[in-house]
Amino acid sequence: MNNELNFESSGDSEATNQKADSLEILLHGMVDRIRQSLELSVILSSTVAEVRAFINTDRVKIYQFAPDSSGEVVAESVDNDKLPSLLGQHFPAEDIPVRMRELYLKERQRSIVNLAKRQIGMSSSAKSETEIVFRSVDPCHVEYLTAMGVQSSLVVPILDNHRLWGLLVSHHSSPRIVTKTELETIQLVADQTSIAIAQSNLLESTRIQAMQEATINRVGRSLHSMTEMQLQQALQQTVMALQGSGGRVYLAAQNPDSIAQLYVSGEQPVLLKDGTHKIPLEEHSDWQTWLADNLQNTAIQHWAIANLDLDSLSLELAQAFKPSQIRSILVIKLEHHQKTLGYLTIFRQGIDIETVWAKRPDRDDPRNQFPLKSFQVWRELQQNKALPWADSEIELAQTLGSHFAIAIYQYQLYEQIRTLNTSLEQRVQERTVELQQTNQKLVQEISDRLKTRADLERVSHQNELILNSAGEGIYGLNTEGITTFVNPAAAYILGYSVDKLQNQPMHEMVKHSTAEGTVYDWQENPIRQTILTGEIYYVTNEIFWRKDKSIPVEYICTPIREKEQIVGAVVIFKDITERQIIDRMKDEFVSVVSHELRTPLTSIRSSIGLLSSGRVDLESGKSLRLLEIALSNSNRLVRLINDILDLERIKSGKVTMFKENHDVIEVMVDAVEIVQSIADKSQIQLAVKPLSIQIYVDRDRIIQTLTNLISNAIKFSPPNTVVTLSAELQTNKMVMFQVQDSGRGIPPEHLETIFDRFQQVDASDSRDRGGTGLGLAICRSIVQEHGGEIWAESILGEGSTFCFTLPTENSLN
Amino acid sequence: MTKKVLIVDDDDDVREATQICLEVTGDWQILTASSGKEGLITAIAQQPDLILLDVMMPGMDGLETFTELQANSITRSIPVILLTAKAQPAELRQFTQLQVLDVITKPYEPFSLSDRVAKALD
Repeated sequence: MNNELNFESSGDSEATNQKADSLEILLHGMVDRIRQSLELSVILSSTVAEVRAFINTDRVKIYQFAPDSSGEVVAESVDNDKLPSLLGQHFPAEDIPVRMRELYLKERQRSIVNLAKRQIGMSSSAKSETEIVFRSVDPCHVEYLTAMGVQSSLVVPILDNHRLWGLLVSHHSSPRIVTKTELETIQLVADQTSIAIAQSNLLESTRIQAMQEATINRVGRSLHSMTEMQLQQALQQTVMALQGSGGRVYLAAQNPDSIAQLYVSGEQPVLLKDGTHKIPLEEHSDWQTWLADNLQNTAIQHWAIANLDLDSLSLELAQAFKPSQIRSILVIKLEHHQKTLGYLTIFRQGIDIETVWAKRPDRDDPRNQFPLKSFQVWRELQQNKALPWADSEIELAQTLGSHFAIAIYQYQLYEQIRTLNTSLEQRVQERTVELQQTNQKLVQEISDRLKTRADLERVSHQNELILNSAGEGIYGLNTEGITTFVNPAAAYILGYSVDKLQNQPMHEMVKHSTAEGTVYDWQENPIRQTILTGEIYYVTNEIFWRKDKSIPVEYICTPIREKEQIVGAVVIFKDITERQIIDRMKDEFVSVVSHELRTPLTSIRSSIGLLSSGRVDLESGKSLRLLEIALSNSNRLVRLINDILDLERIKSGKVTMFKENHDVIEVMVDAVEIVQSIADKSQIQLAVKPLSIQIYVDRDRIIQTLTNLISNAIKFSPPNTVVTLSAELQTNKMVMFQVQDSGRGIPPEHLETIFDRFQQVDASDSRDRGGTGLGLAICRSIVQEHGGEIWAESILGEGSTFCFTLPTENSLN
Repeated sequence: MTKKVLIVDDDDDVREATQICLEVTGDWQILTASSGKEGLITAIAQQPDLILLDVMMPGMDGLETFTELQANSITRSIPVILLTAKAQPAELRQFTQLQVLDVITKPYEPFSLSDRVAKALD
């Protein structure tokens, strides 16, 4: 290497070519080594090392411009024995004047300073100038370099994408001439460095992009899994990716029924108060106003506040942020389909930055007064410095915000659907329950109706059975008197079939008549009165006609009401023919009994009445006769009353028959003994044809029967005739007793009735012969009580035979 | 002239007791008959001033006898008092509807009977 501080001019062409070849090789070697890495720091370190090795100066460094045009030594190769290291030191912007920086950028001007000659050589690479134009170096430049201990310097600009990226600088502590070749070689190295920087930037950009995409993917995965915890996780990932100290996602209430949601991660401002209750930052009107005031671009809808000025905030907002270390805020409006969903907010704390300056940048410092006398390292510490939001970070935040918005939008849709589904399911469930209840009610109702129908059918059937079974005639009429129903008993009593009476005017069919037999006009008919007035009529003696035969009837006529309206009448009637006969018989019996009792009483009363008055001469035969009459009739009355009571007791079953086994012959003999005296008095001979066989009877009652019959026979037999009592065993194991006389006989029409009460053939018979008219009736009752029969046989004028049967012991068993 | 009273009753004791009653309480000639038929014959033959007629008698009963008496011009005007042991209200209603002078229910108080006979004969 040529160490002389001369610029070489072009000379011998061969030699030149050889040099060019060796330079080419050298350059290739240098570039190869430089390009062994893609890392910029490695490239730059390699570059300065290769360049110093090439030009063999004391210090080769790469100076990188910051956006504020200050600069920093980012790579250096130094011979520390000659010059100090400047690596990592910053230089203020004014160290390289604006004019010079423009020349570096626009003209790609290269400068070579030779302090020994006080010359500075300038050569524009942009104009492909090969010549170096020398002029006097600026005195302050001289002083600057001198202060740095530099005698010779070479500066080649490094451009990146039409931007002055930095400078490749060679310093030498002693005077040195830079050759043209060296200049061009270093220029080539600087060019290669530019390429390497561009590639490194590209690599860095690609790396950032890859990292951002990875972040987006990671956050996206968390978001689209859609659970609250992972929304929180996505927020944490976002905060981390944006190097925030905290962040939050605020989801506004989407409808009056929902509430806002807030997810927070890391450092937060304190909650604000709205009246008495605390509210999130996003809901506070001051914050909303502040956001509106700080919106720089309405289309972008984000706020990147790099350095939060508490003084610019309202008092409440300032109080919210003051306790925190938050210095930077990035707010992304979460929107989807023109719908604001909420806000994604990232907070950053301030950081402390220490900058090492090659000299004090403070112009006010007397030590820095032009010209600078020395370079003394000064460390500047900037505390709580807000980090600005890089475009890439804002872009990343917006992309993530979009993902948040989409995810939240989908989540809200999902929630709405889920709510709808839940609501739907609930409604389905409620509806199902309602349907089940309705169904249950319906089933119950059907069951009830079926039961009611069954009950009705049963009742109807029962009613039909009752109507059909009733002994009384029952028929129903409508308001016109037409028969609507009729039971079989009614049809039977009236001599028609049910069908013949149905739908006919009943009053005409039965010729309904008064008790006297006058046929009712329908207008006056009591049944019609019931239909008209609703009154219930109970009639006991009117007449219905069964074709040509009158039927005495008793009936009750009742209105049929339906919803308070009379729609007809029901008539229940009874044929009272038999009852009337019985009533007549009763009346006749009472009349007869009355007569039989009153007659002896009349004699007694008259006799005693006269005697007791004292108006009858007691000495006359009349008084005696009256006494006899009274006594005789008293006895008659006693007998009569005894017989009446005895008969009634037997007939009503109140007399107990003390039945035992007795021999017939004993009973016959006992009976004959009792009446023997009467027979003798009447000059009647009693003949007995006995039978010895056991009968199961009340002995006294059978003797009573026999004596009654024998007494009757004696009464009605003429003197000197025979009354015969006989008994014989019949084939049916009954014993038949017979009492035969030779009296006047009984007319055939009286053979039955003589056994009824007071039914003598001749009423005077009883009185003439001391009877009561009840003897045969009593005999019949006694025989019937023993299970036998009694009857009479007679031939008028020849005599009568009274027969009765009684069971033997054997027949009973 | 002594008034004649005919007693028609099938019961001997009643007939006799009634006869004695009227004989000791009034100045009347007492005639008796033991059946309706006999009473009718006696009435036609004797033309009594009053007939005491029993209702319930075997054969021709009192009502039939009354009808015959009414049917006969000789006896039609003779007042009749019915003596009856039938004392049910329906029966009494039936008797009072007849053209009889009076209806006396058995048993009767002898002086009451005598008074009513006397009244009838006045």
